[in-house]
Amino acid sequence: MNIYEKYGDVLPEILNEVTDYLKQINETYKEKHHDKLYEHLIARVKTPESMEEKCQRKGYAVTTKSALKECKDAIGIRVVCGFIDDIYTFVDLIKQASWSEIVNEKDYIKNAKPNGYRSYHLILKVKVPFEDIDGNNPGQYFVEIQLRTIAMDSWASLEHRMKYKHDIKNPEQITKELKRTADELASCDISMQTIRNLIEENR
Amino acid sequence: MKILLAEDEPQLQHVLKKAMQSVGYQVDAVNNGKSAVKAAKENIYDVMIFDVMMPEMTGIEAMKEIRKTGDSTHVIILTAMSEIDDKVTGLDAGADDYMTKPFSLKELLARLRSKERREDDYNHKLVEYGSVKLDTDQQELVSHNSIRLPSKETELMKLFMLNADKQLSTHEIRQKIWGDEENDEIVWIYISYLRGKLAAINADIQIVGKKDGEFCLTKK
Repeated sequence: MNIYEKYGDVLPEILNEVTDYLKQINETYKEKHHDKLYEHLIARVKTPESMEEKCQRKGYAVTTKSALKECKDAIGIRVVCGFIDDIYTFVDLIKQASWSEIVNEKDYIKNAKPNGYRSYHLILKVKVPFEDIDGNNPGQYFVEIQLRTIAMDSWASLEHRMKYKHDIKNPEQITKELKRTADELASCDISMQTIRNLIEENR
Repeated sequence: MKILLAEDEPQLQHVLKKAMQSVGYQVDAVNNGKSAVKAAKENIYDVMIFDVMMPEMTGIEAMKEIRKTGDSTHVIILTAMSEIDDKVTGLDAGADDYMTKPFSLKELLARLRSKERREDDYNHKLVEYGSVKLDTDQQELVSHNSIRLPSKETELMKLFMLNADKQLSTHEIRQKIWGDEENDEIVWIYISYLRGKLAAINADIQIVGKKDGEFCLTKK
């Protein structure tokens, strides 16, 4: 048995359900505005191995309770948008939705991390027709949603891959250069948004 | 500063070289125009000082050769003749300044200091207004967050920050930043970019104004 124990079976089902909710938000928006809100989304259940590793790293007991309640990203969905404004529109629509409650929210776009990382993080609490670890049925589960632009996503995935290369000779220089690249991509994101706004204005 | 000196009169060359070295400049001295062209091809200089009348190639000819390669280094011409025409010829051929022989060393060194000031103090590599800092070398705009600007946006932001609280017309802005390369339409597009970027770093300053009108950088 892995760290999720019997709850491991329902996590993919909850993941699918929330993914469908998000897709539905996009479809409704498309019908109304003839434009999509995101380019693509990636949904995953954190593997039991990385969840155990995370519990240890964070100093939590390696238990099912930690995996489902202390860590709130066993179920995670990444939404990759074309434009910055789409992220905020999507966040608003999630906030209005009846199927979830927002328990935590971090705007790393307005407050970029020191290394240049930009993204919008939401932790949702969803009510589902499955038993949870506290014995409630319908139960409550946490879902993490990360929203970012294509540029933010490409930076984050490359930075992630380089972070684990320990044989880099000049890590400070590389960190500085990665930060500069993040700030350049952020600049492009805003220029793209501005161009879209200018097109709208001139319509 | 690194200086290239071309002077064929050995004694004057020696005196000028010593004087400039004594105040900390690095000096390469040659005695004709041809050698000057060769030195300019091989090294980077901050200032070039050329005598006009020299064997093999005059200072003016050498300067023209050097300018042809796209070199825009500050050139001071030393002319023996105080004729107005010589000064005009020299300046029109690409010189930035001239001095008439005989001249005082004191004056030459003062001109070099003035040129240095223009490079450093007046170049405003770091500009600040409100909570916002602009590093024009790094093209970095910093407040709560940081962001990198493309070159034209950096120039425009610098113009606004050095002229904060002044009303700048669309036409004036276009002339200063783009000259005749673009028409006035470009100004609104770039101001829109900068507004987005100021918002992204959570700046406490803003560019006020409407399309095609006057714009002013103010504190919020």
